[in-house]
Amino acid sequence: MTDLAWLSVAEGSALLREKKLSPVEWARALLDRIAARDPHYNAFLAVTADLALQEARTAETEIARANWRGPMHGVPYAAKDIFDVAGLPTTCHSKIRKDHRATSDAFVIRKLRHAGAVLLGKTALHEFATGGPAFDLPWPPARNPWSREHHPGGSSSGSGAALAAGLVPAALGTDTGGSVRNPATCCGIVGLKPTYGAVSLSGVFPLTYSLDHVGPMTRNVEDNVILFHAIAGHDPGDPTSTSRAVADCLSGLDGGIKGLRIGLIEHFYIEDAAADPEQVRGIERAVDVLRSLGAEVQAIRVPPLALWTDCNRTIHAAEAYAIHERDLRERPEDFAALTRARMLPGAFIPASKYIKAQQLRAALCREFARAMRGLDAVVTLSSLFLPCRIDDPAAIARTYDQQCRLVFNVTGGPAISVPTGLSQSGLPLAMQIASRAFAEPVVYRIAQAYCAAAGTCIGAEPRTQPRLVTARTAAE
Amino acid sequence: MSGPATISDRVRALAEQEGLGRALQLFPEQVQAAAERGLRPLGEAPVGTSPILSPAPVFDPLRFERDQ
Repeated sequence: MTDLAWLSVAEGSALLREKKLSPVEWARALLDRIAARDPHYNAFLAVTADLALQEARTAETEIARANWRGPMHGVPYAAKDIFDVAGLPTTCHSKIRKDHRATSDAFVIRKLRHAGAVLLGKTALHEFATGGPAFDLPWPPARNPWSREHHPGGSSSGSGAALAAGLVPAALGTDTGGSVRNPATCCGIVGLKPTYGAVSLSGVFPLTYSLDHVGPMTRNVEDNVILFHAIAGHDPGDPTSTSRAVADCLSGLDGGIKGLRIGLIEHFYIEDAAADPEQVRGIERAVDVLRSLGAEVQAIRVPPLALWTDCNRTIHAAEAYAIHERDLRERPEDFAALTRARMLPGAFIPASKYIKAQQLRAALCREFARAMRGLDAVVTLSSLFLPCRIDDPAAIARTYDQQCRLVFNVTGGPAISVPTGLSQSGLPLAMQIASRAFAEPVVYRIAQAYCAAAGTCIGAEPRTQPRLVTARTAAE
Repeated sequence: MSGPATISDRVRALAEQEGLGRALQLFPEQVQAAAERGLRPLGEAPVGTSPILSPAPVFDPLRFERDQ
């Protein structure tokens, strides 16, 4: 039997369906591993062992009766503690929400319940999905399994850490300025920010209404597709939810990328900012791989990164402040310092600036659409720098906006972070693959072709990737 | 607006008007930095962008009918 800690969703699902693996056995193995190892990583805020074993037993009974619900049936997963789960607190990693208790499930949790998935627990995040790794909150921040002293990325930090530590094969995150893709980048896993509206936001505590996305996080691309299919779909209770049918991302996944036309947005990290040379070498190597697989890659230009950042951060601060205004007025000391730093600017943004940011968003989206003409997708960096030390708030603040992820929260199109290898110091490198709205199939296809050729994903065949295994083992 | 003292006065007035007196008292430097960030103008929009030709939020009166 494969090591259950590193079993992928696809492999595990096949074993479950063939009754070669019990959902209870898989859940129990991971719960034991969480108990033993999570004190090093702080990935979980709450472990729902009783609920998990109950769901696993139900799945086992159903599969035994040949009532297989689909590829997530009996598969363990974790959810960022920003998703409502009936009967459990949704703390958002905040003192302010410590005593909260959800009365119903978020739409995506309900979908995963119907799919027969097994919730192992709720993961750590940056408070209210913003700010950074804080040491002035009731719970410690999640740690990066590649190096406990380094930032695991955020805000879905616990989900990223849990995957990289082999505690779960799948997890849910949210992404407003890169919060799925940042931990994916820093933890060496795969994270997709889908098209805006493709996955329901109902029952997810909002950060920024018009930029929030729910996204799947996994250790490889195929697993990401499986989780995306399980959570995507129309929710009549969410005004942002699209009624468009979910595209089939699985059937063409291994179709290769020969002849695809890919734009490379390199001015973000060469002209607009001076990125870390190792990140740049990582994406240059990745582009070579894409070309070797038959894709046509050409440099393209879109508006400068600073303009996208301005647009995203203005909308983010204004909308987040609207949500937290009362608490920021009455009990500002109950927020982490890093959270206050992100939210308080919203109090001072004039209405005209917010409206201009929305107008700028429309203009940027038009420019992006123009640049995408004739292209299937674009690639660019995710983080401009390597993960900084977790205990260096100045570095956290400095690198907060030094990234290319928030661009695709502005466009609303799909963007995925995939690992491109390791730095000399053993920290994960990554790039993004993005496209126009609802083009998840082509984004996944490119990601799959790249990862299969480059062998940079952990989990699928970790023992064939000595550097990855060495670094991961060292972290453990 | 000439120097830091003037900015602080302005920030103080704005913060108090916004009901952030407690934050101002507990975290004055953070409030100051937040005001500077919030009040900073946006970057130059792409050529051809106009506040008149590009109305941002689009109101759709039919949406509320569809919601019923």
